[in-house]
Amino acid sequence: MRELALYREWRQRRTADTQRIFTTLLVMVALMALAAVLSRGVFLKPQNLLNLIFQNAILGVVSFGQLLVILSAGIDLSVGSVVGLSTVLLMIFQFLGLPAALLLTVSIPALIGAVNGYFVARRRLPAFVVTLAMMLFVYSLAQVISGGAGIYSGLNGAPLSPLLVSFNRKGVLGVPLPAIVWLVVLAGVALFVRLRLGHFLFAVGGNERAAFLSGVPVTLVRFLAYVLAAVLASIGGVLAVARVGEGHPAAGQTYLLDSIAAVTIGGASLSGGEGTIIGTLMGVLMLGTLNNIMNLLNVSPMMQPAVKGTVILVAVYLNSRRERG
Amino acid sequence: MPSDRRWRSVLAGLNDYSAALVLICLLGYGALRVPNFLSEMNLSAILYQYSIIGLLALGQLLVVLTAGIDLSQGALLALTSITTALVMVKHGPVLGTLAGLTLPTCVGVMSGLLVSRLRMPSFLVTLGTMGVARGMAMQIANARPVPIHHEAFIAFGSGTFLHIPISAFVWVVACVAVHFFLTRRAFGRHVYAVGSSEESSRLSGVKVAAVKLTVYVLSAFLCAVGGVIWTSRLGSGSPVGGQNYELESIAAVVVGGASLFGGKGRVDGVFAGVLIFGVINSVLNLSGISPFWQGMIKGAVVLLAVALTQIRARAEAQATVGMADA
Amino acid sequence: MSVPVPLLELRNVSKAFSGVEVLHDVSFDLRAGEVHCVVGENGAGKSTLIKIISGAYSADSGRIAYFGRDVHHADPRWARGHGISTIYQEIDLVPALNVAENICLGNEPRTRGGNVDRAAMRRLAERLLDEIGVSLDLDASAGSLTVAHQQMVAIARTLSVNSRVLLLDEPTAVFTGTEVEALFRIVRRLKDQGLGIIYISHHLEEIFQIGDRITVMRDGRVTRTGPVQEFDRTSLVRAMVGRDIDFSRQSQAATPGEELLRVEGLTRRGVFRDISFSLRRGEVVGVAGLVGSGRTEVARAIFGVDRFDSGVLLVRGVEQRFRSPRHALSRGLGMLPENRKEEGLVQSRPVLENAAYSSVQLQSRLGFVPWARIRRTVRQVIEDVGVRCASTNLNVRSLSGGNQQKVVIVKWLAARSDILVLDEPTRGVDVGAREEIYALMRKFKADGKAILMISSDLPELLTQADRILVMAKGRIVGEMPRDEASEEAVLGLALETRREGHRAQ
Repeated sequence: MRELALYREWRQRRTADTQRIFTTLLVMVALMALAAVLSRGVFLKPQNLLNLIFQNAILGVVSFGQLLVILSAGIDLSVGSVVGLSTVLLMIFQFLGLPAALLLTVSIPALIGAVNGYFVARRRLPAFVVTLAMMLFVYSLAQVISGGAGIYSGLNGAPLSPLLVSFNRKGVLGVPLPAIVWLVVLAGVALFVRLRLGHFLFAVGGNERAAFLSGVPVTLVRFLAYVLAAVLASIGGVLAVARVGEGHPAAGQTYLLDSIAAVTIGGASLSGGEGTIIGTLMGVLMLGTLNNIMNLLNVSPMMQPAVKGTVILVAVYLNSRRERG
Repeated sequence: MPSDRRWRSVLAGLNDYSAALVLICLLGYGALRVPNFLSEMNLSAILYQYSIIGLLALGQLLVVLTAGIDLSQGALLALTSITTALVMVKHGPVLGTLAGLTLPTCVGVMSGLLVSRLRMPSFLVTLGTMGVARGMAMQIANARPVPIHHEAFIAFGSGTFLHIPISAFVWVVACVAVHFFLTRRAFGRHVYAVGSSEESSRLSGVKVAAVKLTVYVLSAFLCAVGGVIWTSRLGSGSPVGGQNYELESIAAVVVGGASLFGGKGRVDGVFAGVLIFGVINSVLNLSGISPFWQGMIKGAVVLLAVALTQIRARAEAQATVGMADA
Repeated sequence: MSVPVPLLELRNVSKAFSGVEVLHDVSFDLRAGEVHCVVGENGAGKSTLIKIISGAYSADSGRIAYFGRDVHHADPRWARGHGISTIYQEIDLVPALNVAENICLGNEPRTRGGNVDRAAMRRLAERLLDEIGVSLDLDASAGSLTVAHQQMVAIARTLSVNSRVLLLDEPTAVFTGTEVEALFRIVRRLKDQGLGIIYISHHLEEIFQIGDRITVMRDGRVTRTGPVQEFDRTSLVRAMVGRDIDFSRQSQAATPGEELLRVEGLTRRGVFRDISFSLRRGEVVGVAGLVGSGRTEVARAIFGVDRFDSGVLLVRGVEQRFRSPRHALSRGLGMLPENRKEEGLVQSRPVLENAAYSSVQLQSRLGFVPWARIRRTVRQVIEDVGVRCASTNLNVRSLSGGNQQKVVIVKWLAARSDILVLDEPTRGVDVGAREEIYALMRKFKADGKAILMISSDLPELLTQADRILVMAKGRIVGEMPRDEASEEAVLGLALETRREGHRAQ
């Protein structure tokens, strides 16, 4: 029991953030150990680990966006639809050449994020309902543009840009490009959180009133979070096109639940103000590892949502227990 | 002052019935500008399509009144469907229906316990049960639909009586029942109390945990009823359907004037809310507008409804403050 | 003739929060059929007393007896179930339900079928309203009633659970004269029925009208208890104050410099009216007043949190109308909110981060934050101010109340605000930290800053402020330099008499 007392004392002296990261790390390591055991070591091979990152790059990028919004004590239910819309937009705009197409693919979702941000930050409507409405809106918009089906080539039959086609196969120093993109986004988000507005996310989500009274531009910070979430979702969409070579309105469906799961498992609190980038990163990797484990255990793909659902419940329960002391 | 009070109650009444007013306007628009709108076939079709969402929306209303949310409705629909079909194949329609009604309700019990006893946020709990229910449905069906061959059962879902779809009757009966519950039973009145001020309700002796548990169970049950009807229409049990139905039910509840913060909302509002979406759907279809535009219109309508709710709430708050000084 | 058992009896009850004693050796009793008023300045311990009686807090020591029986672990539900009801200022009826339903909430009469027996419920509600002599539209939704009517419904509700003790905590704060009369009628009827009523108010004239006995509290102790006939206004005020003030702790007199802030005719309809004063470099201006006098609202209007309708605010001679605290911050203002836990700090974030928010906002250029410089400055200020924490990386939550308060001060110091508004700077802070905060204030003065200090602590005002403004009912009712001030003078001005009609019109 003395160990427990010492541990408690050590815990007291670390910030909640460090504690949270530590706990999440433990769980992640445990999960990976399980995967390693079940796969007789194959899991831990560098190639497989790289693959893990590669497979989850899209979710990773989208989850960072969701993290920013959740930190501000909000939620973005439209990320899945935005991913889908982005895939459609990218395909459509092929004929303009890749750079222009990319620009449009990211800017239009940025506008969507701005609408979300306006209603949530400025008009103070509940984020849940606003982003829910936007989700329906964007999905249907994507359907209207794409005619409801998938798009396999650009307007006027313009072919997919060769860079996109070979995107997944290329790499830098053996690291596949999607993983690099994820890394760059990680760096970007980490930088953002050190800038003024990004830094204030925690304050705004943690205690909006106190932040406001301290001179923090609360509305602007919140607004920005939604814009960035949409932008990151659109980047995820670009990666999705690179992966499957098609644009489809429903391409992003799974990312909504998964991004919320990743962020929550990574230790962020849905009531805002608490969470870390590393935590979300680990959350994504844990989801990926979980998928691996389920495959190794031959859990049928049907049950997988059920398992994920249970995992979320357990994670939230543990989180809430920890917060209560 | 008496005239002030009368004015205020008129305003309040308008607020409560705003969904109905919107519906009437839409019906008017449809009648005047859209060919074939008022045809029996069309009106019947609207009721046919939206009576299932209507059942879900009733359940959602109950949950929302306690300041919660039920995201598992679509998954429960699918679970009902597959359970009903599988049991029916071996044991006939009666047992099939019973099984289909029971299993999802049990899931509702689980959600309710997690929210009421473990105090977990309903958003996350029902997100989790959504995954679990969907997974269960897929698993026991092996991701394949299960065809049904009982003629009577299939006829039930698509049947009509006096040219009105049977499912619409079921919905109306359910509306009456829920309305009765919310207005005549003390327990139903307590739903409003719990949604408004949980702590003070507890102090007054309201059984808060029991109320919260009940609304999730009722929501699940209503989903199950809807699921049975849905199954009979499809003629098979489907594990994949019902995607995003819960979002439609939330939309209908919000448009119907309920507050997501709890304590405010009525059955007649939800009834109108559901029909609003039904009418919009119909108007768009008959006007030849691509179905893909529906989502955009729905999204815009929900946004507008919520924005209006907020404006109303602020106006009401200011009105009462003003009165304190009068 | 034997004295009947009191409904309620407290003997030698004490209570402390985080080492700060809020009640010391308090004895109190309530008899059936009496209105027992409790008076005292802010922070005297009245609310804590009520919370202990209603079961929301437990006493650290002493005896508590309800209806003659000792009780050890009261909780609110137990208390309510045993007939002790409290009416707070924040009334929580269920807006969607009507008057009758709110009154009978939790005790609805049922028909044989199990439904609510609407007729019986209405009869019950009507009878209860009758008992208190009020007539209301039973079908009106609770959300549409005036505050006064809501309170009446709340009172009727307590009758539906057979209350025997009613606690009224500042019930008339937002009432007009007629509404107060209506409340008095209700109180008298309840008295006649044998209920015991505890009535907390700082409206002295109400106390003389309705009270049977008065208990005066000061600094967590009871200074005097007795029948109302034994008091008059002067003796009542004297019982509320009259402590020995240690003038050795007094701050130096100010030699004020240029005028940093001035308000003229500041008005916000229904909240405060015609506020005018100025603040100069190197001076501390104290603002005295009781709950509801509008001090915090004025501060918030100056700081850009709330708006004001008319009047002029001048900062360094330039007219301003701050749209947000951010705006006020950029012009050199800072505000320590009254409620530091909820409004001053983000509890879940580290000390260093909290202390740096305002600096980060001010010193960032194009989004880039000079972290090294800010950290250095903030750490230095933390040390200067004497915040005690094991590490600045710890969450603010883990600090004591006094230290948390200091962190908020650090925030504004580090941001180099030179006009500081302090709203109850030492509330809930222990004696040691209190002295340190006073020392800090003296340093601010010496550095040429200007301080507006809102305080309910009379000794604090008398020893730390150079000038004292007294507010009551949204207006400034007095201004006096330190050497002319006394506790009785200040309190006497603050205890306003109610005028018929509107507040602050």
